[in-house]
Amino acid sequence: MSRGFVYNILFRTGIVLSVYIRMSLLKPFSKLPGLNAANILLVECEEQFQKSLADALVEETAVTVYVRLAKSLPLPKENEESRPRIDLVVFIINLTSELSFQSAEASLKYLDPGYLLGKVCFMVTNARNASVPTERLDAVRKLAAALHCPLLFAEDQTPDGVTYATKRLLSILKVSAGLVPMATALYLSSLTSCTVPPDIDQPSFD
Amino acid sequence: MCLCLTECFEYFSNVEMAAQLNLSGHPDSGLPSLTDQSMSSRTSNRSLRVAEKERRKNEAEDPSVLALQYFYNVEAGTPVSGNDEVERNLVLVEQVAYRNGLSPEAISIMLEFAMSLRMGHSLCPRVLKCLIPVTVVPQEAVVRGVSWLGVGKIPVSTQVLFIKWVLTVFDMIDAKDQLRAIYGFIFSFVSEENLCPFICHLLYLLTSKQIVRVFRVRKLLELQSKLGRQPFLLNLLSLYKVFCPELVTFSIPSQSKSVFKNHNMPWKSALFAVQKRNGSQVASSISLASASKDGTNRRKRKRHHLEIPVLRSVVNKEPQTETRRRLVPLVQIQSVAELLENMDHIELPAQMGSLLGSSLALQYLDCVQDESALLRLNFWLGYALHEELLFCGDGASQNSEESLQFLNKLLSTQHFLQEGFSSSEAFLYKFLNVWDGSLLRPQILGLLSNIPVIPSSQIERLLFKPLMQLFFTSSVFFKCGLIECLNNMLLKWLIWHSVYALEDDLDISRNSHTSINMTLSGFKDSVMGLVDFVGRLASSGLQLEGCHSLLLSFILDFYTMVCDTFLKYGLPLVVMPPPGVFYPALFATDPVSVDRLAFIMYRYKVNLTSAKIQEKLTDQAFHISRQTFHEFNNYTVYMVNCLWNSKMFQPGMGVQLGEELLLKSNVPQYWTSFDLVHHPAFMSYAIDFHQKCWPGKKDIDLDSIKHSKPWSWYLEYLFSQGYDGLALFVQSNIRARQGNGQQGDSLST
Amino acid sequence: MDESKKRLVQRLIRRIPTKMLKTTLQKWGHLTGEQHRAMDSIQSKWALTESLLAICEENELAVKHLTELEMIYMMDNPDQGMWYAFQLTDPGDDAQSVDLMQFKEQFKSHLRELVRQVSVKIKKHTDEAVWIRIAWGDAYSRPDHLKPTYVVHYLQTPYVFVTRLNSKQKPMLFQAMVLSTRYQYFKDANLSGRNLTAIRDLLMRKYQQVFPTKYPSPLTERKQTVTNPHVEREQAKPAANRLQMACEAFGGGTLPQLQSAVYKLETKFRDHTNTLMTEREEPFRCVVKFSSTNLLESLKNCASSGIASTPVTPLLSSIPLKGKNYFVITDNVPGPSSQMRQTQN
Repeated sequence: MSRGFVYNILFRTGIVLSVYIRMSLLKPFSKLPGLNAANILLVECEEQFQKSLADALVEETAVTVYVRLAKSLPLPKENEESRPRIDLVVFIINLTSELSFQSAEASLKYLDPGYLLGKVCFMVTNARNASVPTERLDAVRKLAAALHCPLLFAEDQTPDGVTYATKRLLSILKVSAGLVPMATALYLSSLTSCTVPPDIDQPSFD
Repeated sequence: MCLCLTECFEYFSNVEMAAQLNLSGHPDSGLPSLTDQSMSSRTSNRSLRVAEKERRKNEAEDPSVLALQYFYNVEAGTPVSGNDEVERNLVLVEQVAYRNGLSPEAISIMLEFAMSLRMGHSLCPRVLKCLIPVTVVPQEAVVRGVSWLGVGKIPVSTQVLFIKWVLTVFDMIDAKDQLRAIYGFIFSFVSEENLCPFICHLLYLLTSKQIVRVFRVRKLLELQSKLGRQPFLLNLLSLYKVFCPELVTFSIPSQSKSVFKNHNMPWKSALFAVQKRNGSQVASSISLASASKDGTNRRKRKRHHLEIPVLRSVVNKEPQTETRRRLVPLVQIQSVAELLENMDHIELPAQMGSLLGSSLALQYLDCVQDESALLRLNFWLGYALHEELLFCGDGASQNSEESLQFLNKLLSTQHFLQEGFSSSEAFLYKFLNVWDGSLLRPQILGLLSNIPVIPSSQIERLLFKPLMQLFFTSSVFFKCGLIECLNNMLLKWLIWHSVYALEDDLDISRNSHTSINMTLSGFKDSVMGLVDFVGRLASSGLQLEGCHSLLLSFILDFYTMVCDTFLKYGLPLVVMPPPGVFYPALFATDPVSVDRLAFIMYRYKVNLTSAKIQEKLTDQAFHISRQTFHEFNNYTVYMVNCLWNSKMFQPGMGVQLGEELLLKSNVPQYWTSFDLVHHPAFMSYAIDFHQKCWPGKKDIDLDSIKHSKPWSWYLEYLFSQGYDGLALFVQSNIRARQGNGQQGDSLST
Repeated sequence: MDESKKRLVQRLIRRIPTKMLKTTLQKWGHLTGEQHRAMDSIQSKWALTESLLAICEENELAVKHLTELEMIYMMDNPDQGMWYAFQLTDPGDDAQSVDLMQFKEQFKSHLRELVRQVSVKIKKHTDEAVWIRIAWGDAYSRPDHLKPTYVVHYLQTPYVFVTRLNSKQKPMLFQAMVLSTRYQYFKDANLSGRNLTAIRDLLMRKYQQVFPTKYPSPLTERKQTVTNPHVEREQAKPAANRLQMACEAFGGGTLPQLQSAVYKLETKFRDHTNTLMTEREEPFRCVVKFSSTNLLESLKNCASSGIASTPVTPLLSSIPLKGKNYFVITDNVPGPSSQMRQTQN
């Protein structure tokens, strides 16, 4: 997948790159990686789930995990120096809130397209909530599918759910930080990227 | 018994008689005297009545009895206002009702009093609100109540209140047959706008397959065009659709949420209190009828759909021998023999979910020809799963324990029936799309392994897409779990096939409950799709997890089954494992994996050989593609070369490396690295063998094992360690054993 | 037995939850130990009513005793129904020197002058509040003890809280209040809520307030609890800023529980795409209502989490600032300026 292709996708999905401010654009390869370290950026408008995820993520012992928390992109310029190379950007979307989705969508503009080569994933909470309009889930799916990113679902209400969501993020993070031999972020994303499922309301067998 | 009749007992049985007589068309027949005739015909609720009587005797001289008598006898047109007597008696009845609940007879009297409007309609709501049943509600009373609706003088709000009351106590009505008989009459009220939602709910509870008719569907559609897509109409229609899909052709969104609300508000707290207070009594009187379980579940069920109802029918009637309908409630059946005897006239319980808890009921379900029982159960199940698991609202944690038990129950039911429910299948397809991979994992994977064969055209989008994403983003334990689940799924498909293929050759569509029409080639396509899919998961999974030996073990489990599809399950299909599985298994560091691979290759050979023989015997037998033989030969040759001949890097083989590169690696005798002596999995055995063989030798020279004598001893030693797979593989592939350097033979295509 | 007494007892028993009945009766202190034990053993409300009625007969307790029981229960559980806040203005010279005895006497006599049939009971609560229970009657009927008005007044302050006040009785209460407290006027404070303490705290500024400061406030320091050094918040500064501003507007600690805020808009309609509406002379009238179980906490959270923009709009911040939750918004000056202004009434 070439970078041009990614740009193309971005345009097709209506994410306008007119707000292309060089300085605040987050880039995947502008810095050197740390030794046996992985950096993950959790972007969540509501700043709720990211905290519990962060606490669980840093518990990992096999590699040193650094977590950066953000409400939205772009990230403040003054942290540019201290900020390490981000290996994985996770957009956390609470499906019960339209704002949460819109914020994630808007934040995508400040992401270097290079990230879309396997270093972005979406994590959705409250997908099983009865009050969620199906259109919103579809919209999130479409977004993730258009960007070829994995779409993970998480049960943020239960401790088990948080633990497991953390594990899943870690397994992606390790690959995207280059810590898994024989696997690259792009390879993993080709296996996991989201697709828009057709309407499965009526599984027709005839 | 007659001797000890108290006044109230006599009185009550009279009332019931009166009600029955009235029903049969003799209104206002007054109080017939208690005769032997009426005693003998009054068989219903006998045991209950006795219990009731005992209780009543203790509260001798209960003024509420006199109050009830007043309401029974009161003349039509008696004024209400300023009538202290009515007030006093009503208060008495209310006191009894709110404290202990009303007996079935009292309910009959009070309902009749209210609905007949003998004293106008001002008292109606008050009376209706105090109709708290202590045990059951007599069906006759409800039927009479409904019939009064037709008279048309009752204010709409009271009519609504009445229907709400019927809905609230629906489970306590002692039989439903007469209510079903007047289904058409009840149906006629749907056109009244205010009543419609409640009538729809009542109809929903009463609907059975025979009742669904074109004209009713048409009427509902007509209403829908008038009132819009109202949830209550949709829900009733969707039930009709379940029973008769051919009559309701348009699509109904299956996502419709909980549509029928609980209308039990006016009675809820009172019912709750009465049930709590009478807890023991209710339970004991019900245990007469229900063979199982405590009464505590009943209250809970009102709030949670996942609570599996206790199998019970409130029909307390002893089996009536001479009556015309002779329906036997399922709960009264105690043994299989009884079940078989009454097969054709079994009354299904009102709560279909209760079937899940009873093995006899499941046996009935399994062999009954009429589809409607399964349809009803499926409908209930689909609703319960959807409401409580898929869209549980918030607070996922609070009902997880309940969900767990429910799913376990469902799983054991499916194991009992040895097939999945279509509603749980539909639920899974949706759930997989929002699953986090951890919630109720063992249960979900268990249900998943039960799903019936999916046509290959659907399998990708329904199953593979969501599973693929979950698989690759989850931990290695999830990966193992999923492979095991798919293994079970394949096993069930193969068993299913072998059972139905035996019955009649190719047409395996004649399957009992699934509506899939499937030909043999369609089935083969699905199986092939599944095996390919696991192959894809396995290759990439092993790569990502660094050939995790646990994962490898689960994958080899899968291929142990796949390699035997022809001989064990009679499916003419042989699929080879992909290189991504074969090579990691061959180069695995644990001897067990290599041994299992050898066994799998041996079974492949046996299967392919017998397939070939059969192909020669019967001309029109299936054809195994040259590609499969080619793959098999390649693998076998490579395996033999590698393990036996110490020729790892032969040109034309699966693994090739440039000569210079190999020299650069500075590995001495690199070609021997994976023979049976130097293979990392077996090296410890080789050293052990070496020490045993030449105990005095200080420096170990493993190459010396390769001489023909020690080599055969070494093999013997290896096989004696339990590596049967390896033994079988060697025996079947290597014929002559004079020294080193034999070629493994290969199957010709 | 007196019918009104019977109904009063029925009503009291129905209203007081069974588990609170015991303590309430003990505080009341008109029952003997034996009677207490007898009451404790009874479960059903109906039987409790009967039993209490019997005790009233036995101990010769009158309606006034029963009203006392009601008052005791009410003072312990004031959060029932809507409380409305009122404010006395223009104090007279001797307004600060009114003491309880004086107030009691004067209020009773003033009210009796206005309404002949009225039953007033005044009790002092522990927290300086004076509780007044008024059962109103009119020229033809005796005081109705089933629908009493409750008034809570803090002596030497201008604040009065009222619940269950009929509009017909309003002027009479006002009159009596003004006269007995030596103030000139009595006006609606435009604050109401289900929680008496909350509206009292809000009006009397009895909640933790935060004042604007340019220096890094102790608040942010406190917030920065020791977290894992591997976790870094990228936007910590703006977040702290937002929190500071939210606290400045709504206060720092636990906030008084308000249930709603109502804005009555009487402003001109402004939307350049809709000339028809914009050109209308009359103001566009509508009512905006915010409701929540704890409105101030919700609003504070909106501001600190960034859902509402900071600095907090004066429309929202004037709820705690002015101690009001009912606002009428009119145009400041008719003209191009789109500034809105909350008027005082």
